[in-house]
Order: sequence, then C-alpha cells, then structure tokens
Amino acid sequence: MNRLISVVAQAGMWLAAFISVFPFLWMVTGATNTANDITGGRFLPGTNLFVNIAKFFELVDAGRVFFNSFFVAITGTALTLVVSSLAGYGFEIFASKARDRVFAGLLLLLSVPFAAMMIPLFVMFSGAGLINTYIAMIAPGVASIFMIFYFRQNTKSFPHELRDAAKLDGLKEHQIFWFIYIPVMRSTYAAAMIILFMTNWNAYLWPLIVLQTNEMKTITLTVASLATAYTPDYGLIMIANVLATLPTVLVFFLLQRRFVEGMLGGVK
Amino acid sequence: MKMTAFKGVLAVAGIQLITATMALATDITVWCWAPEFNGAAMNEAIARYTAANPDTKITVVDFAKGDLETKLQTQLASGTTEGLPDIVLIEDYGAQKYLLSFPGAFEPLTDKIDYSQFAKYKVELATVEGQTYSLPFDSGVTGLFYRSDLLEQAGYKADALKDITWEELSAIGDKVKEVTGKPLLSVDMNDAGAIRIMLQSAGSWYFNADGTANIKDNPVFKAALTSWVGMLKNQNLYKSVSGWGDYTGAFNNGDVAGVFTGVWMTGGIKGNNMSGKWAVAPIPKLAGVEGAGHASNLGGSSWYVLSSAPSKDAAIDFLQKVWASDVDFYQKILVGQGAFAAYLPARDGEAYSAADAYFGGQSVWKDFSDWQAAIPGVNYGIFTNEADAAVTAQLPGLIDGGDIDAAIEAIDAQIAQQIQ
Amino acid sequence: MQTLTRRENLTGWAFTAPALALLGLFMIYPILWSLYMSFMTGKGMNFKFGGFANVERLTKDPIFLHALGNTLTFLAIQVPIMIILALVFAVALNNPRLRGRAVLRTAIFLPCVTSLVVYSVLFKSMFAEDGVVNDALLFLHIISDPIPWMNDPFWAKVLIILAITWRWTGYNMVFYLAALQNIDPSIYEAARIDGVPARARFFKITIPMLRHVILFTTVLSTIGTLQLFDEVNNITASQGQGGRPADATLTLSLYIYNLTFRFMPSFGYAATISWVIVILVGLLSWAQFRLAREK
Repeated sequence: MNRLISVVAQAGMWLAAFISVFPFLWMVTGATNTANDITGGRFLPGTNLFVNIAKFFELVDAGRVFFNSFFVAITGTALTLVVSSLAGYGFEIFASKARDRVFAGLLLLLSVPFAAMMIPLFVMFSGAGLINTYIAMIAPGVASIFMIFYFRQNTKSFPHELRDAAKLDGLKEHQIFWFIYIPVMRSTYAAAMIILFMTNWNAYLWPLIVLQTNEMKTITLTVASLATAYTPDYGLIMIANVLATLPTVLVFFLLQRRFVEGMLGGVK
Repeated sequence: MKMTAFKGVLAVAGIQLITATMALATDITVWCWAPEFNGAAMNEAIARYTAANPDTKITVVDFAKGDLETKLQTQLASGTTEGLPDIVLIEDYGAQKYLLSFPGAFEPLTDKIDYSQFAKYKVELATVEGQTYSLPFDSGVTGLFYRSDLLEQAGYKADALKDITWEELSAIGDKVKEVTGKPLLSVDMNDAGAIRIMLQSAGSWYFNADGTANIKDNPVFKAALTSWVGMLKNQNLYKSVSGWGDYTGAFNNGDVAGVFTGVWMTGGIKGNNMSGKWAVAPIPKLAGVEGAGHASNLGGSSWYVLSSAPSKDAAIDFLQKVWASDVDFYQKILVGQGAFAAYLPARDGEAYSAADAYFGGQSVWKDFSDWQAAIPGVNYGIFTNEADAAVTAQLPGLIDGGDIDAAIEAIDAQIAQQIQ
Repeated sequence: MQTLTRRENLTGWAFTAPALALLGLFMIYPILWSLYMSFMTGKGMNFKFGGFANVERLTKDPIFLHALGNTLTFLAIQVPIMIILALVFAVALNNPRLRGRAVLRTAIFLPCVTSLVVYSVLFKSMFAEDGVVNDALLFLHIISDPIPWMNDPFWAKVLIILAITWRWTGYNMVFYLAALQNIDPSIYEAARIDGVPARARFFKITIPMLRHVILFTTVLSTIGTLQLFDEVNNITASQGQGGRPADATLTLSLYIYNLTFRFMPSFGYAATISWVIVILVGLLSWAQFRLAREK
C-alpha cells in the first residue's frame, strides 16, 4: 500500500513537472519554426532558427534593450532587498502596538489596484522631471510591501539567542543586522533575490507608462510590441520570447544552488 | 530638496537624464504601432523629408497599439505635457474620444492642410466643431479577399462574388467547404468588426449624430446583427479562432479560403508565397436594407500633432511636405507596405493602377479606390469600444438560439449604462 | 507582546523608516488622489463634484456586478486549488525518498520566471482551438471535439484558472518548502516512532507548523486574485480588449483599466471601483487572520 502511494506520488510529481516545463519546450521548438508552422501547431524542431534570430537582431537594438533590462533588474533588486529586509526585520524584532498598526495598514495599501494609481504616480514623476529615466522605472517598487511581509515572516525563524549573544558581545543594532542577520538568513535573501530579479525584469505596465524613447525600452516591452503586428510573425516572436526568458532562467539556476545550500545549512 | 537628492543619485549612478526640455527644436518624435506597417511608412516619409531638411531629426517610437493608447491617455489625463511626442497615430474609431475628452491637447490643422485632397469620411471623423485635427493616413476600405484557386474549384468565378448578400456568401461557404474541405472564413467571435463593417456599409452606426445610442430602433443594426448571427450559426462557413494571430494565421496558412477585412491586410496576404491564388471582391451587402452598399471601412488611422509639442511647427511642416503632397511617396508605401492612402491625388500615381500578379493580374488598388469613393461617411462618436463590448457580450447567447430582440434590448441597456 | 525600551522603540522606527518614507511618497499621494476622484463625475478631464453619484452608479451597473461575480468566482476556485497543490508538492518534495527532487523542484518552480507578455503569447498559441493542447487531448481520446478554450464563457474561465495555477503554484510551493526545511526532523521521527500515521502527521504537525506561511501566501494570493488583471487582459483578449469572450473573464481590475484607459475615461467611477477592491481585501484578510488565530 505504501509502495503504491509512493509510485503514484512519484508519477504525479513527474507529470506536474512535465506540465510546468511544457510551455518552455513549445517556446524553444517554436523559435526554430516558421510563423505558419507555429500557428499550424507543429511541435517538431524546424530549420528556421537562424532566420528568426537574424530577423530579431535586425529589428531590435539588442545591446541597448538588454542593457536596460539588466540595469533596471539588478539595481531594482539590490535596492529592494536592502530597504525591504531592513523594514521586515524592524517590524518583527521591534514589534510594538504602533508599528503593528502601521504594518496592518500596509496590507490595505497593497490592495489598491495599480491601475488606479498610475495616473497620479505619473503626475509625480513628471513633476520631478524624471519621466523616461531609470529612476522612474525603479523607484516605486523599492519599498515592496510584499517583500516587507516576506522578510517579517522569515524573521520569525531568526533565533533570538543569536541576537542576545551578539548584544552581550557589544554589537550595535545595525551591526547585528549586517553581520549576524544577513548571513544567517542567506537562504531567505537568495529566494527573495530570484523573485525580485524576475519581477523587475518582467515589469511591464509601469515601465510602459514612464518610458518614452527607444533607447530606454526593455526587452519585455520589445516583445509586447513585436507580438501585436498586423500580421504577427510567430517565429520572430518565439525567438524574442526565448531571449527575454533566458536571463531569468539563468539567474534562477545560478542562485538556485545557493538557495538550496542556504535552506539546508541555514536556520534550523 | 527632493530634486537635489535625486540629481545626486543620478550623478553617482552616471545616468543620463533625458528630458523633452533638452531636446533641440528640430527633434521630432513620432509614436505609432505596427512597425512593419505604420512604422515603415513613417520611416519612408522621414527619409524623404530629412533628405531635404538635414537639420531635422525625426524618431519613430513604436509600441503595441493598446499600450500606445494607455500611455497617451495617462499622459493627457495627468495634464503634464512633458514627454509627449510631437506626432501620434490614432485609430479612427478612437479619434472623437481623444478630441472630446482632452480638449486643447491636439493641434487643429484646418488652416494648414488642404482637406479637399483627402477622403471625405476620414476628414469628418477627425473634425470637432468645425476644426479638423488629423492628417488622414491609411484607409480601411474593405474587400473580400479570397483564394481564387479554391473558389474556382467550388465553381465560383470572380463575377459570382460580385453583388451578393451576406446570406449568399454563407451559402457559397457551404459549397466551398463541401468541395475543398476548407471553411471560407476565419472568425473571432470576440471581434465586432463584422458588425461595424455592415453598419457603415449602410451608412449607419452604433450612435446618432447627437451621441445617443442608435441601437433599439435602428433597422440597420437589427439587420446587421441578424445577418452576422445567421452566418455564425453556419458551422461550415468558418473556422473559429481566438485572437489576432490565430485569425491571420488561418488564411496565411491556407486553412481557410478567404477573409473580409480592411485593405491594410493586403501586405500580410502578399507575404505568403501564394502568388496568383488570391483575388479581391467587394464585400457583400445587407439584404433588404435601404441604402446598403458594397463599400465599407474597417480600422484605418491618422496622424495627429500634439499642441504642446516643442517642435510643433516642424512637425506640421513635415506632414505638409510629405504626407499632404508627395504622390510618389504614396506609391512607394503602397508597393512596400500595402498602405492605401486617404490622400486622393495619390491614386493618379502608377502604382495605384498597376495590375498585381499576386492577385492574378487584378488591378486591386484601382478596385479599392473605386470602393473607397463609395464608403458612406458616419460619425463614429466616442463610445465605439463600449458598444463593441456590449455587442460581443450577446453573441454566444444568440448563436445558441437566443432571441434577437431581447439581445438588442440588452445591448441598448448596456450601452446606455456605459455612456452616462 | 514584548516590552521595548525607549531606545529599542526608536531603533524599530529607524529600521522601518526608509521603507515607510518611500511608501509614503509613492503610495499616499496616489491613494488620496483616487479617493478625491471617487467623488467626481464626468468625461476625461472634464469632471465635476458628484457626491455619491459613483456609488449609486455601482449599484445599477450590471457590468460591475458581473465583473464582481467573475472576480469572486476566480477567488473561490483558483486560490484553494493553488494553495493545496503547492502544499502537496512541497510535502512530496520534502520527502527524501522521492527521486529526482532537485529536477522536480526546479521544473515546478520554473513557470513563474516567465514574463506576463511571454506567457500570454505561449498560452494563446497552445490553447488555440487547433492548438497543441487540444491536439494532445484529442490524441489521448480524453475529448472527442476540440475545446473552444477562448470562445466559450465557461472554458475561458477554466483557461484563466489553469494559466494562473500553472504560473504561480511553484512559486507558492517554494515558500512552503523553505518553511518545511525549518521544521526539526526529529519531531517527525518522534511521531513516527509513536505510530502516528502519515496523514495525521500531515494534519497534526505539518499544517500547524506552516500556519504562518500558509496565512501569508493565502492573504497574498487573495489580494492577487482580487486584483486579477494581467491574464484576463492578455490571454483571453482579442483586438486589444481583454475579458473575452462575452465578458466571461472580465474582472474588477480589468474593468477599472477599461474605464481608465480603453473606454471614454471615467476616472472617478474607476477610482470608486478600486475602493470596492480595497474594502473586499480588508474584509477577507481580517477573516483569514481571525481563522488562522483560532487554529
């Protein structure tokens, strides 16, 4: 009976994994096919890969577009990690009635739909003369309520004894954060980094509003523009999809080892 | 204080701050969608203009169409003009919406452009209180594109497709399916384009000239809805698709034998290695409707100049010199992109009368010119998107056998609710 | 709650200050603007004070009620499915006897790294009526006619639920996995020695130990679903209009977006609807916190 369950579990997990990965396979094979083969549902590798690639690099200023995406994603991730983990730590370690009320209020802020805030946000940034800048793209996301929540939750598993010992050793509060908390919580940071990198890389609606010139466009916006031609070229779109997805997949694979390492060797 | 802090960060990060205020007076920015169509036509125009005006730099920025509309609407609503382009492309259906909800945002061109040289219906839709704001670009004159090889197999020559009704088209679809195994059309049930084509072909629209809904007591609307639902009930007639890519893929792949749509689709159809196998017929007409004809419009768009634009005068000069006078330019984009001009003198150019081997030697552009002249002008009003949504919401129920009068009642109620 | 010294209290504010300052800057003004606008009526920037006219309009607007119904349907079906799946996957992956754990974990997490734009294109092409999904289902004789995924009101809802579940299950799973790693294995060992069956171990140990993180993911998923916009504006969309077919996948957020950007702009009315979402989130989160506390 137990054996049967484990066989079923094993099979079920592999099926789930297959379903999860299938669209990626579809995308990669699509990138090697012509537009007509793709809409015709062909699921075999074709011979059009280099034609699609050539067309992509002909139409898109790839260097510029990828630089923008990387710059925004890396800067945005780093700043968000610092600001939000500081706050998450503060809310949990120094919990007080007043701060808990503020924290609950954040939840309500999180619930305001972004579409309702876009126009006033745009007014603010244009008032500050920051339209079409990296700052405008990054700044509104730096204090991420979601990440503050996430760090507060995870701080619950940060052992108080470590803090107490550090205090006895004469460490100041900010030293405890930088030298004890961050190293101990590295698994938490690794996971957050993956999530933030992909959020920033994939950001769409807000960058769309604040970016005005081709020089500032990210790869995500470029793909959207390619996908809405009068007669969309799916071969081209698929290769653009692959190129737009590759960096997030790579970052995930790069960090994943640390992520797992941290989880196993981190807080018990 | 806030500014200095920001600037400090900027300096540290070594980021170049690009703002419109820093732009030179002869920098012109254009926003449009569809880089392979609108963008390419615009780039051709720019090449011609900058050859004569080397000091002027014109940049095209392309976005997805919906994205461009979102951006434009955000900026206009925010009241800040910084970062707006000098010239923007707007689809004709949305023209009145922008002109009326953001008064003063667009520059009237009435005194700058000779509008008698442009298709009349295109001029009317960009006119508010006697002022015209657009440089009319491409026409959306409609035609029935069909695979002449497949229809011939089914026994239909070009003449058999002239002067027919939508019901007759549906019957032709049965025969084509029976003989060739392929449906005649691809249909996206969520697209109200067919209804719009039918309405305008009889000189009617969702709205009256005063902006009130023209649904409940509009015999043309009822006839159009009835015809379209009748066609949708005929499963042999079409392949059901979802989304634009799927829709165009169906005829570009050869899965279906035709499509009735705007002339701007010509370029896409010609990109398919099926030379000699295509032809174009006029669209069918609504049966039993007075004033109904074979000419209509779908989509099409026009260029607008923002009145806040720093290079407004240069932008207008550019539009005058190329878009409102260069006949040769229009020949080039007709051949290159299949962009069919609303600029009437362009039709005297040779490209417009040339026979096209892709369409079996048919002089397609001349045919489109003739049909364009017959398009009834209608006032699109400001709520076309809302009306489309109300119509498509009722289609699934109607195909399942719902009552047409009840559906019209519901559409009318939804539109009335939305346009307050 | 612990008692803090004055100094500790100040330190607490210092740690949270950068985030709170930024949030104040980037959220408070927009929120006040939207509150102000919710009392205004008119077209575009030609608006005037309308009192509670927008609230009145809500009660008479069948599209609003329809969008509200759709949103709550997605919430009631999608969130539980995803949370349960994520929990099951996490527990399975935490079992050392499962083979290929690293590969499986990576594969199941992978969907959430795709961008919205990319994944909409993929789903649209895969779920076309003659697309690869229907081909596969037909080949396996699971269905006899192709499913009209995007043209049938029921199947379109199913498609949206499938899409969100595909993209976010692995994401939630990672939170549970991390939390599971933090449970001391000796607790399970002791339970096993005492003869506690697997199912009871799951409900008596795993679930209570994961209570915080389950609450966290549930509240966030609830907020995410109440604001559901990306998928319905891109996957079940044609000609740039989302929420198709027949508004079967129209959500509150999409309606706000339409009223703001697609239709004749009705900023005030759109702002009013966003406050409906805020109130719903407030009520539901409060209920979820209550539930978690009682356990």
